[in-house]
Amino acid sequence: MNAPIRPKDRDAIIQSLRAGVVPRRGQHLIQVGRSHEVEALVADIDRVADGGSSFRFVIGEYGAGKTFFLNLVRTIAMERKLVVANADLNPDRRLQASGGQARSLYAELMRNLATRTKPYGGALPGAVEKFVATAKSEAEKQGVATEQIIHSRLEELTELVHGYDFADVISAYCRGAEEGNEQLKSDAIRWLRGEFATRTDARAALGVRTIVDDASVYDQLKLMARFVRLAGYAGLFVCLDELVNIYKLANSQARSGNYEQILRMLNDSLQGTSVGLGFVLGGTPEFLMDTRRGVYSYAALQSRLAENTFAAGGLVDYSGPVLRLSSLALEDFYLLLRKIRHVYAGGAPDRYLLPDSAITCFMEHCAKRLGDHFFRTPRTTITSFINLLAILEQNPGTDWAMLIGGLEVQPDEGGKGDLAIEPEDELASFRL
Amino acid sequence: MSDSQAFLQLDHRIQRYLWSESWEALREVQELAIPLILPGDRDVIIAASTASGKTEAAFLPALTHMLRQREESLIVYISPLKALINDQFARLQRLCENLEIPVWPWHGDIGAASKHKFAQNPQGVLLITPESLEATLCNRGTSIAAMFKRTTFIIIDELHSFIGSERGKQLQSLLHRIETVLGRDVPRIGLSATLGDIALATKFLRPDRPVAIVDVPSAGGELRVLVKGFEEPIVDRAMHTEDGPRAEQAPLAISRHLFKALRGSNNLVFPNSRREVERYTHLLNILCDEDRRPKEFWPHHGNLSNEIRNETETALKQHEHPATAVCTSTLELGIDIGAVRSVVQIGTPPSVASLRQRLGRSGRREGEPSILRGYVIEDALDEKSGLASQLRLDTVQMAAVVSLLLEHWWEPPAVHGAHYSTFIQQLLSAIAQYGGLKAAQAFQLLCATYAPFEGVPKHDFAELLRTLGKEEVLTQDHSGLLLHGRIGDKIVNHYSFYAAFVSDEEFRIVTSGKTLGTLPVSQMLTPKQRILFGGRTWIVEEIDEAHKTIHVAPAQGGAPPLFNGGAGRVHTCVRQRMRELYMARGVVPFLDTTAQRFLEEGREAFKCLALQDQVVLDQGSQMILVTWRGDSANEAIACLLMARGLHASAGRLGVEVQRSGRSHGEIESILADVASSPVPPLDELLARASNLVRQKWDSLLSPHLLHETYASLNLDLDEAKNWLASIPMLAVSRQADDPAKDLL
Repeated sequence: MNAPIRPKDRDAIIQSLRAGVVPRRGQHLIQVGRSHEVEALVADIDRVADGGSSFRFVIGEYGAGKTFFLNLVRTIAMERKLVVANADLNPDRRLQASGGQARSLYAELMRNLATRTKPYGGALPGAVEKFVATAKSEAEKQGVATEQIIHSRLEELTELVHGYDFADVISAYCRGAEEGNEQLKSDAIRWLRGEFATRTDARAALGVRTIVDDASVYDQLKLMARFVRLAGYAGLFVCLDELVNIYKLANSQARSGNYEQILRMLNDSLQGTSVGLGFVLGGTPEFLMDTRRGVYSYAALQSRLAENTFAAGGLVDYSGPVLRLSSLALEDFYLLLRKIRHVYAGGAPDRYLLPDSAITCFMEHCAKRLGDHFFRTPRTTITSFINLLAILEQNPGTDWAMLIGGLEVQPDEGGKGDLAIEPEDELASFRL
Repeated sequence: MSDSQAFLQLDHRIQRYLWSESWEALREVQELAIPLILPGDRDVIIAASTASGKTEAAFLPALTHMLRQREESLIVYISPLKALINDQFARLQRLCENLEIPVWPWHGDIGAASKHKFAQNPQGVLLITPESLEATLCNRGTSIAAMFKRTTFIIIDELHSFIGSERGKQLQSLLHRIETVLGRDVPRIGLSATLGDIALATKFLRPDRPVAIVDVPSAGGELRVLVKGFEEPIVDRAMHTEDGPRAEQAPLAISRHLFKALRGSNNLVFPNSRREVERYTHLLNILCDEDRRPKEFWPHHGNLSNEIRNETETALKQHEHPATAVCTSTLELGIDIGAVRSVVQIGTPPSVASLRQRLGRSGRREGEPSILRGYVIEDALDEKSGLASQLRLDTVQMAAVVSLLLEHWWEPPAVHGAHYSTFIQQLLSAIAQYGGLKAAQAFQLLCATYAPFEGVPKHDFAELLRTLGKEEVLTQDHSGLLLHGRIGDKIVNHYSFYAAFVSDEEFRIVTSGKTLGTLPVSQMLTPKQRILFGGRTWIVEEIDEAHKTIHVAPAQGGAPPLFNGGAGRVHTCVRQRMRELYMARGVVPFLDTTAQRFLEEGREAFKCLALQDQVVLDQGSQMILVTWRGDSANEAIACLLMARGLHASAGRLGVEVQRSGRSHGEIESILADVASSPVPPLDELLARASNLVRQKWDSLLSPHLLHETYASLNLDLDEAKNWLASIPMLAVSRQADDPAKDLL
């Protein structure tokens, strides 16, 4: 705990927490509790790295830390040499659609494709380049043409749906690399990123008859998983967040279409037919459990996802496809704030701005102000804690006890739409 | 033309087009409208008669404005009819081709490919119906902002037809929702036929700001009207029962006349009920057959099976063969037929406004007159004839309506309606649009100041939400987000959700398990009330709203009440005009000889009954308060009396009160008491009334809100009180030698 923290990491964490968003790096520094859950996901990651498959729902209330958890998992996956793709669902980005929304999700996933060397996305060209490079060195070693090696490697892909075209696009990239044709290379990358909107364009540019369209998103992900393994990575790990957006879709056909895609993913991974592909999906309990609009409204999924009935009364089972994140306990909170203080001080205990007693005092204050919200939504508490630290840092000699008394903590109003609400409105807290 | 200032302000490409189309001059309405619309910074209403060039008055400057924009922009044109959109498309296409501006028709018959193409690059001129706009907001909620981002004008055609109706409320709400998403106001241009009340129209178009007005009163096109009377001879009443087919003479005669007058052209025929629609279509097509012509007459009402409806719609849409639609009164908005030659009204029209609306369909082309053919049927008189027959109420009402129409009077639109039904639709649609809404957000969106449902108080809104929650129309996730419930899901995901108005509801009349027929009922009913159906009197036993069924039993004896269903609600002015017609002498020019004879017979009976100063007619088991007021006032009076335990209902002459053993004096004292005491709360007044469901989603309302929305549109308590206060109580005549007694 006493190792110094790099200023780069410190700033990234503090700034993102202060803005109320989940940090993209250094999550391990502030991770508290949930060790079993993390272990379960690490086991998943290992399985994927081993050429297997995995599928998990991470279910937690709004603000329970799903996104944080998913990001942590993502970082771990990158450490294990997996390629990671992540995206948030929204009404215009979903798993199944007919108006380009599914392709849009795929494009987002590909844009966010990340590896250890490129942790912030945009790793797709690198991955393709790596594939070509390994093929080249292999060819030199064996003394045959690169083309031949590439072909024999891509052979494996052609057995999958849309495999021929995928292989053609990769070959086109290789050809472009060989001939120094940058246009061809970027066209191939564009195709892989799902950015061709019409078949005619794709055909003119690359000579393939298909494009990544709404219907083929999952098939392309499977191909991509195989491909990254061929390129020398351990596999592909896909993190999808905000699945509650499917639950909110007004069109019942659209909803069940999306659940159908989830069912396909679930079946493939639980039966082990997909290779080197892992999914983790974040959503709220309503999204999962609602039997009318949620995942459970799709009977086939409900039976597959039924939770272990023995896992009750303190007994736990972390091996099922549904992983529940419980709210943070008081001790976890205490630890979390301590860790934030530690990070804020750059890992040096002698630069702590607050004594431990101040943390307790701060927590009591927040619990009083927020009541129930305190545990359900840690976001605002953390933000104001960092604000407090910032004041203390820049105004040396200020008394923390005074500051805590006058501290304002607002309940988390996340998920508000773009319609303004008049304050003090009787309808603001309306319940049916 | 070049000396016209307005013309010079237009884009030179448009000028060139007008030259090439050899326009000689801009019309007056265009001269006035162009400088107002051109800057694109205000809302404008253009009121002028049909075929006066008001569409161009809006589009020429709007397109000029568009051509001057540096970036591509969008004009949204909203029209109530698909047929109008198709017409408009053909007209605009020629102009816009030269300007290289794409024109996009968008309604139910337009293929997905064209819509998709528009959504890719939303610019040009979009021609759309309110229903399609609703569907777009509902299904493409997230892309609304992108789609309408570059809108410079919203043009609303046939503005007058929207004011006061469910569709009008819906349209207002749609415009409001689009502007909310865009975060700015879009200039609105309303195109309207000559308006009765300009203030209503401006408030409709833009509630919070003054609107510029171009009002060009014109002499109007030529209007030809003829009302023909037909007498149904008396047949032996024992010959037919209520379920046997009646070989009536008058409809056959009307059909023959219609066939001669209408064949070979496009027309609209409005009988007053579904049964009549079927009958006339059948009769007319038999005549077609006899004449060895292809079928020219097509039925259209809400209860048709899909195939027949499609067949009808295709027949009306094609242009090669003449086609005439025979349709029910309540479905006039649903009939998509373009220009027609004449409009036929069989039986009394529901209202002057609706007759005018219908008539607006004919004479749309320049130089063509509007033609109205009215037909009335009256039974031949004998000693058993009822009051309605004696007074020739149908003929006189028809004459009153037509004469008011000729004087350019029509009922003011009912803008005070609460419209909770449309509110429910908009709420559900907004939830779909935003993927869930918080209660406060929904209230802010729909009910804030200047929002379309401004008047809805918060507690009513909360009550509405709770009722909808109970009915599983809405549900709430734990963050408070309102989402569609099980039933709501079904409603929203059905294509019929997008229309705010109901297509044609009729009640089935059933006696001991046997269906007698169907009847459009526009007045509220209470059990024990008597209705006339199929030539007999029935007593209402039970009203089943869910199945739209009225259970009746045969009523014993007594004079038949005047209530016989019938379409539409009659306004006080119409009743007053009827009274004037009874009291006047001489010939009414638009009546043919038979109809004129009916009128004279009616006048005779009127005189015999001394109705010019009689307020109460004693009819034995019931008394009729002769009010000469509109249905809203009569119904309100009936409600007030029912709250006192009397059986009263609104009829065509006034209010019918069952005596149920009460003496004349008792009833009079009740009347006097009601007149002097304050009006009880609505929930009490309407506690016993059923079939209050009028609008599409009224059935989802709680009783309290249903009462409110019903009363807001259908009861005029003020007028009722005024009338009650004004009656001289002792004007009742009970003398044995009263000539009226003999007649009854």
